[in-house]
Amino acid sequence: MGNLRDRYCIVGVGETEYSRNSGRTTRAMGVEAVKKAMEDAGLHPTDIDGMLSYHGNDSTPSTAISADLGVRLNFYMDVIGGGSSTEALVGLAMGVIEVGMCRTVAIFRSMNGYSEIRIGGTGARAATPVRGGDLATRPYGMLSAGQNFAPTFMRHMYEYGTTSAQVAHVKVAHSKHAGNNPKALLKQRVTVDDVLNSRWVTKPLHLLDCCLETDNATCVIVTAAERAKDLRQRPIYILGVAGRVSKPRVDYHFVHGPLSRVAGYHAKDIVFPMAGISPEDVDITGSYDAFTFTTMLQLEEYGFCKKGEGGAYVSSGIIELGGERPNNPSGGHLCEGYTHGMSMVIENVRQLRGMVDDYCPRGREGIHSYDYAEGQCRQVKDAEITMNLGWANPATGSALILRR
Amino acid sequence: MQVQYRGMNLIIPDNDTEWKGYFEAARDHRLVMKQCRDCGLLRYPPGAACPWCMSLEWTWQDVSGKGTIYSYEIVVQAIQAGFRDWAPYPVVLVELDEQRGHPTADEGLRLIANLASDDFKPEKEENVAIGKRVEVIFLDVSPELSLPLFKLSQEPPQGRVWQLK
Repeated sequence: MGNLRDRYCIVGVGETEYSRNSGRTTRAMGVEAVKKAMEDAGLHPTDIDGMLSYHGNDSTPSTAISADLGVRLNFYMDVIGGGSSTEALVGLAMGVIEVGMCRTVAIFRSMNGYSEIRIGGTGARAATPVRGGDLATRPYGMLSAGQNFAPTFMRHMYEYGTTSAQVAHVKVAHSKHAGNNPKALLKQRVTVDDVLNSRWVTKPLHLLDCCLETDNATCVIVTAAERAKDLRQRPIYILGVAGRVSKPRVDYHFVHGPLSRVAGYHAKDIVFPMAGISPEDVDITGSYDAFTFTTMLQLEEYGFCKKGEGGAYVSSGIIELGGERPNNPSGGHLCEGYTHGMSMVIENVRQLRGMVDDYCPRGREGIHSYDYAEGQCRQVKDAEITMNLGWANPATGSALILRR
Repeated sequence: MQVQYRGMNLIIPDNDTEWKGYFEAARDHRLVMKQCRDCGLLRYPPGAACPWCMSLEWTWQDVSGKGTIYSYEIVVQAIQAGFRDWAPYPVVLVELDEQRGHPTADEGLRLIANLASDDFKPEKEENVAIGKRVEVIFLDVSPELSLPLFKLSQEPPQGRVWQLK
């Protein structure tokens, strides 16, 4: 099998406003996000002939979105999934283009994750019947993502001495980034004490260890590199991708340890060799921050620090803008808004273009101050390579390495 | 079978070849695991094949119900409405004594459950810790359904005792 490194690009990105009250359908939001990504790329309806989306029975399918935009499809698929789907679908898009099924694929995610079907599991999701595999957890009051992941986080604290204060630095860093991001839902900077003094949700998670529930739609467009050269934006090349890589016994990973190990342990051996790079070559990470802990666990598992030293890594300043390798310079899911990973890929694409939105007076022209003080810049200088670390749960994850 | 418990509709159809036998035993206050008829290994959850030898042949095997807390959490904000009057409550991951560290060092029969007192109140947080010994108890939800839970046992802890401070 040939390596597809540098053969495919992300050529367009777009999203709707981050809010907690969109006041409209996931169809209306999805259409807007795809349209914006097409305009970003300079693509017309006849240029898009593939569509992929993912959902948790909370969205609108590709058939409706494409029809509204006058796009005739040669390929589409709407898959069940949450976090880690973005990177996996980028890989699928490359595959379907490579085999000739279509030429250009728009990938979207649209959800009213606060105002309709809440991502946190309250409301409609808490009322569904319990059967099959759910009988192992839900009768014990274990339902939400945080509740499902907490034993993994706790075991990491037990095994490695990781502390709540260490992982709180993830929220602190991302809040600084969000403060310089005009579209972020939460722009207020927070301190470690703010995190530790916020109310408990499920121990060891405080409220501020948890991401935001958000209404939003997002889109990224993938096409072949030779096609990308003719489009509006600087092409962003895909170096490597790994999709929904899983630990053994993935449906109930508790029985196959180590419990503190996450899926990146396996994914790293796919994505780094494919990309031909090492962790030290990465300028910006997008480690999925469903929770402060998830960012830490993945950075550690992919080798940005040694196993067990994730707490020290995320509290060292490395992951902040101005640090050696910033993580989620948009503010991520903890502060910008929750998109099941799409926004973190969008952010890395914009970072590689040198065109993030911030408060630099000439930021729209790509002229940035690189002053990361509050209310200023959030563009990383000369970013060449980014890496997204997508998280579905401790047992499943994805990765995507991009270059400019 | 459909049983209401804490606002949830628990459904175990007659054709549920994974869970029906598990809950039939629980109704008799027995904890059982599926056992592979070929390689003899126990497994949880009760899947359709043996994850180690792919055999489709299995039987139910009683286990002691004794184990050690491997990890836990304290749910403070209940998500399900029916748990609000029970919060804060501990969710524990219990590693059973049987087959600990087999067939590989990191594997074990580990069950999610609540840690409760003899009268089925949530165990107090200060008593919940990794390393503490536990034993199964059965909450009779209805004449048809009993739910396996765990309570602290009188045995000394196993390994390092740790709790979140």
